Amino acid sequence: MIPPIFGLFALLGALALNAVQAADLRIGMAADITSMDPHAVNITPNNNIGWHVFDALVHVDADARIVPGLAQSWRALDGTTWEFRLRRDVRFHDGSPFTAEDVLFSIERAEKLPNGQYASFVQRLTEKRAVDPYTVRVKTATPYAMVPYDLNSIFIVSKKAAATASPEDFNSGKAMVGTGPFRFTRFARGDRVELAKNPAYWGGAPAWDKVTFRIIPNDPARIAALLSGDVDAIEAIPTQDLARLRGDKRFGLAQKVSWRTLFFHTDQYRDPSPFVTDRAGKPLAKNPLRDANVRLAISKAINRQAIVERVMENAAVPASNLVSPPVFGHLASIKPEAYDPEGAKRLLARAGYAEGFAMTLHAPNNRYVNDDQIAQAVAQMLARVGIATKVETLPINVYLPRARNGDFSFSLLGWGSFSGDLALRALLAAPDAGKGYGAWNWSHYANAALDKLLDQGFATVDEKKREAIAREAAAIALKDQALVPLHHQIAIWAMKSGISYVARTDEYTFAHHMK
Amino acid sequence: MNAPPAALPGLLPRFARDGVALAALALLALLIAAAVLAPWIAPQNPYDLAQLDLLDGRLPPGALAADGRSVLLGTDDQGRDILSAILYGMRTSLLAGTLSTLGALALGLLLGLGAAWFRGWTEAIIMRAADLQLSFPSILIALVLLALLGQGLDKIIIALIAVQWAYYARTARAAALAEREKDYISAARALGLKPLRIILAHLLPNCLPPMTVVATVQIAAAISLEATLSFLGLGLPITEPSLGLLIANGYAYLLSGKYWISFFPGLALLGLIVCINLVADRLRDLLDPRRMAG
Repeated sequence: MIPPIFGLFALLGALALNAVQAADLRIGMAADITSMDPHAVNITPNNNIGWHVFDALVHVDADARIVPGLAQSWRALDGTTWEFRLRRDVRFHDGSPFTAEDVLFSIERAEKLPNGQYASFVQRLTEKRAVDPYTVRVKTATPYAMVPYDLNSIFIVSKKAAATASPEDFNSGKAMVGTGPFRFTRFARGDRVELAKNPAYWGGAPAWDKVTFRIIPNDPARIAALLSGDVDAIEAIPTQDLARLRGDKRFGLAQKVSWRTLFFHTDQYRDPSPFVTDRAGKPLAKNPLRDANVRLAISKAINRQAIVERVMENAAVPASNLVSPPVFGHLASIKPEAYDPEGAKRLLARAGYAEGFAMTLHAPNNRYVNDDQIAQAVAQMLARVGIATKVETLPINVYLPRARNGDFSFSLLGWGSFSGDLALRALLAAPDAGKGYGAWNWSHYANAALDKLLDQGFATVDEKKREAIAREAAAIALKDQALVPLHHQIAIWAMKSGISYVARTDEYTFAHHMK
Repeated sequence: MNAPPAALPGLLPRFARDGVALAALALLALLIAAAVLAPWIAPQNPYDLAQLDLLDGRLPPGALAADGRSVLLGTDDQGRDILSAILYGMRTSLLAGTLSTLGALALGLLLGLGAAWFRGWTEAIIMRAADLQLSFPSILIALVLLALLGQGLDKIIIALIAVQWAYYARTARAAALAEREKDYISAARALGLKPLRIILAHLLPNCLPPMTVVATVQIAAAISLEATLSFLGLGLPITEPSLGLLIANGYAYLLSGKYWISFFPGLALLGLIVCINLVADRLRDLLDPRRMAG
């Protein structure tokens, strides 16, 4: 009788041990995940899942600098030809080997997928070919230094699994075969994504057997889920709860200055501007926002330190640049504009607006940390120097189309970039769809000197020279007050104590970097 | 020739026999007076951004603001004095509640009487429309309407009218159906009076008592619906918060102990709605002959 009982105990013991060893991680995410297809909808929450299941040739480290991914090295053979050497011992989750064929297929799929939002990252590649199974060569029509940066956005899928796959095949999991640290298990739209460990990951097996991303966009609900133990970690900590979490020994925080900069676009191309009037509400023939002195006055009227301390609970740093200090191309010599309401009034008077004027500030109300509070705070500061400011906040899915349509005069936008010159290209280069310049230049700021420097920089393969050019370009735009910088967010994660996370500048929440 | 309307004289003394209702009426009168007088008695105009100071944000009740005055009920995240914001917010709530109730009452009365008088197709169309409207949750209809119409107090009032008219239409029709068979209506018809005149001068006054009962109850419902919509961020701009939006703004601070941003506006809303409901209940008891209250 004894041996079977002993065996039973051993079995129970093994089960109990297993239960202890099976490490599960549940993470509360702040934004909805809309698609599993890594070449379909280019938004942060989708990419966040992409980075768990897939890899790219080029990765980004915690400081937003590019590092080797599936490519162990790359170099420019000449200004227009780039060669990527691939890792050799990598296997997909289904066991098949990773080769140059998968890279070429993924680039092509990103380019051709109907309504895919990643095509702009590969459109400049005029020629792609496999030199051998572990070497890929791509060419561009003109010298272009940003190829490795652009390929950071192209997730590598398995040619075998995704040859004819539609986004639906990725959502169902059929085509979700990657080389990343986790295998895909399940996607429940609007609720959760479940992943399982890839023990053979080339970058080292992650610490968790099972990871669940729960989608909890409501801030108090996400905090409550952490406090009650429903999840083990959450991203995007509401600033209101920072003090409380800092004082609670059951939880730990990880934080880092994010690459996301908040700033205002100002209508610099229309007379009159749709939402600018005199104080009585009559339209102004001339648009004051076209005057750089008026924009400087607005910048001086904003008390960035007060916003950082009072609205953001110190989870932000005042901004002078389009990119935050750790990011490539940040220009440290320009400091955040000091709060100077009297100076602002003098500048307004000199520009011919001694009586001030009135305008409407537009901002999203569900996109950036405390966006609607920031909008109100700026409005009260502008009101005090004579710019009577109304605030209209809109959900981001209504806000963005209207902003792109040129509906606003003074509008809030947040932007994260790998580098200062990429930010300038998107935000302030004269709009030119063919060149991919100025896609987000709601101000319609245009300066030929800036555009020329950008052209020059993107053709410069030497990173040091390119950074110098990027800083020169930033100086031109910032001295013109091309936009009104506000602050850089500080990204914050909270975890149960015992779990640690290397905070990232790019705000991604990576389960494989939690330990 | 009119039948005597329900006995209004002597209503107040009979009302006063219930102490709770009387206290509720007094408190309600006080709240309404405070809301109406808000621009004169509030320490601050909470809608004027130039009067707010971010550095006064989130002060606890009784603290001193930068300019030395004390903030009795604390401030919100923008430095808005909660007491002032409540007074102004009650104005918005009462205005939206009263105007939408009056609007819905007028519309519902018109349609209900029309349905009862003309019967046939008119009645079928009006009453099926009312059934259709009542088969959807009112919050859903209001949400859809506001998403289509956009922001503003006028839009909120339109949405509230749209979700409420059906209650009045049903009540009015029921009352009118009973009245139109009575002798004084037959007499009016025999005199050859035009339908419109009979409806407005004879039918309408006699249908009013049950309608007033429905209206007093519905005002409270309208106010809480307005608060719900504001809480969800629909309706009014964030720089002109009503009670619902004030509660929503403070909601994020509840876990961090800054209770006052949500608590006091919530208390004000609760007080307003409970008082209106108590008064409405008492009125219903008095005006409804079937209840036989004294």
